[in-house]
Amino acid sequence: MAVYKRNYTAYTGAVTAVWTRVLVLARYAFDEAWSSKITVGLFIFCLLPCIASLVVIYLANNPIAKALVGARGQELAMDAKFFLKVLATQSWLALVLASWIAPRMITFDLADNALPILLSHPISRFGYVFGKFIALFSSLSLVTWIPCLLLFVYQGYPSPQPWAMSNLQIAFGLLVGSVIWIAFVSILGLALSSWVKWRVVATGVIVAAVFVPAGVGGIVSAVLRTKWGLLLNVPVMMSNLWQRLLGAPAPFDDRFSVPTLAVALMLSLACLVCVGMLNKRIRAREVVRG
Amino acid sequence: MGVIDLDGVEVRLANRTVLDNLTGELRGQAIGLLGPNGAGKSTLINTLLGFHLPSKGTARVFGLDAHKDRAQIRGSIGYMPENDSFIGNMSGVRFVRYMAELSGLPSRIALERAHEALFYVGLGEVRYRKVNTYSLGMKQLVKLAQALAHGPKLLILDEPTNGLDPVARQRMIQLIKDIRQEGSIRLLISSHLLRDIDETCDEVLILKNGRIASLCNIEEERRSNRSFMELETVGATERFSVSIRGLGCECAIFPGGRIKLVIPDNIEARDLYVIAAEQGVQIRRLNQRRDSLEDIFLRAMDNDQGVTQQGRTANGRL
Repeated sequence: MAVYKRNYTAYTGAVTAVWTRVLVLARYAFDEAWSSKITVGLFIFCLLPCIASLVVIYLANNPIAKALVGARGQELAMDAKFFLKVLATQSWLALVLASWIAPRMITFDLADNALPILLSHPISRFGYVFGKFIALFSSLSLVTWIPCLLLFVYQGYPSPQPWAMSNLQIAFGLLVGSVIWIAFVSILGLALSSWVKWRVVATGVIVAAVFVPAGVGGIVSAVLRTKWGLLLNVPVMMSNLWQRLLGAPAPFDDRFSVPTLAVALMLSLACLVCVGMLNKRIRAREVVRG
Repeated sequence: MGVIDLDGVEVRLANRTVLDNLTGELRGQAIGLLGPNGAGKSTLINTLLGFHLPSKGTARVFGLDAHKDRAQIRGSIGYMPENDSFIGNMSGVRFVRYMAELSGLPSRIALERAHEALFYVGLGEVRYRKVNTYSLGMKQLVKLAQALAHGPKLLILDEPTNGLDPVARQRMIQLIKDIRQEGSIRLLISSHLLRDIDETCDEVLILKNGRIASLCNIEEERRSNRSFMELETVGATERFSVSIRGLGCECAIFPGGRIKLVIPDNIEARDLYVIAAEQGVQIRRLNQRRDSLEDIFLRAMDNDQGVTQQGRTANGRL
């Protein structure tokens, strides 16, 4: 029907499957996040270390190029330690990107009280959060496991075949380590964004939520003379986890080592708290005046 | 099967009974939901949308359980909330398209319907502007457009004229009348403004303190109630009043030839003119009015006990 015809007509066509509505939410959230030039700028910034790593891999596998840049004598080892550095760098940059993107995905809805309308459609509260989660997770994937695995593949391509096969644990570690981190950051970002109305403040709160407990954990460790305060230190916990997943040598001495099970439990607990926060906040609540 | 069936619905929020034993069947094309602030109108709507789980009883929409089948129900409902509820950062057309896609329309069709819905409600010229730049009236209209875009079977409007100036209000009422006339959509309109319900609805559910104070078909209720008439006469008023009492009218005479009548259904103004002509009485002015929705509402508010009984007798359906 042409738009100039202003009569109402009922819709009688086919409708999409209910499960695809989550993807609609994800698509619109993705569009919203990437409509900002700052997001694009941050994304490019996040890829700069990957480009640097790409150059290093090229030099490591090309003696002529290495000689040309005057690095003939230096040993450029392409091992778990190298990829651990790449993974750690990309993961922390992903946190910066998440702290910018997550508030954009959720605070617009909350600021204008859009939840009653959104949730009056055939979409559950879980579906709503899951849709936003998919959008954030896929955005962060673009700067974490996807470029990391591409670097791994690039390293495996010029190397003699046994390198890739004998270092599959690195690929596994890159994938699993990244997925755990961006899943955690995504749920943390969404939970905190749902409670903070102002986007800029929410950005700061997300970063603070990762680093402030580390300071608290340091105080707990110092006062109680225990290392279990490290369980509040997300950077140390993640470094331990990534190192074990990639099979790299330990970056810290034993004082900073925490059991993998304890790390997994702490991350799970943090995720549960975030789910609780989202459950409390994401509701089709009407404010009835009068 | 009614549009909405309520069977002993009780909803408790924060240890307070907000809806108490609501029982009734709503069948009208346009159903008005009336009641003072805090009567439970919005809670009932939220219950029908599946946002609240009844602690007792069941609510059904088109025969589907409002909580268990909420996804299916929401697919066939268009909801316009009372308060501001939109995504201000989006353009009007993008917002309506987004909502239509969430209701299950394919992306391209959703865009087409979004344009149509916005033109239909009169926002065609501003559809590319961001919603947070809209005036209050426009925001109400964009909420209506998103509720209409996917072609719902039931349109729930919660205080649709809230905050509108008289012109915008009239436009909204006209739109609701048009939608009702089109016939494919049932309407549930919540309001505390009697005039809005009076102009748009054929059935009304009146809530008071979370209970049903009255449920009736407005037209039937008006017909079943008495009709009043005021006359200004010149001449032999006393004799005239005796004659019209003979027709079965109740009648009171006031100074200056003024007469107030309660007339039975079978008596028309013409009968009074005939008697007046026979007796040489001039009828200078004649005002006739039926029981208004206001009368129905006030009676329901006065009737504390209740409640469901009144609805039962009024319609014989409860």
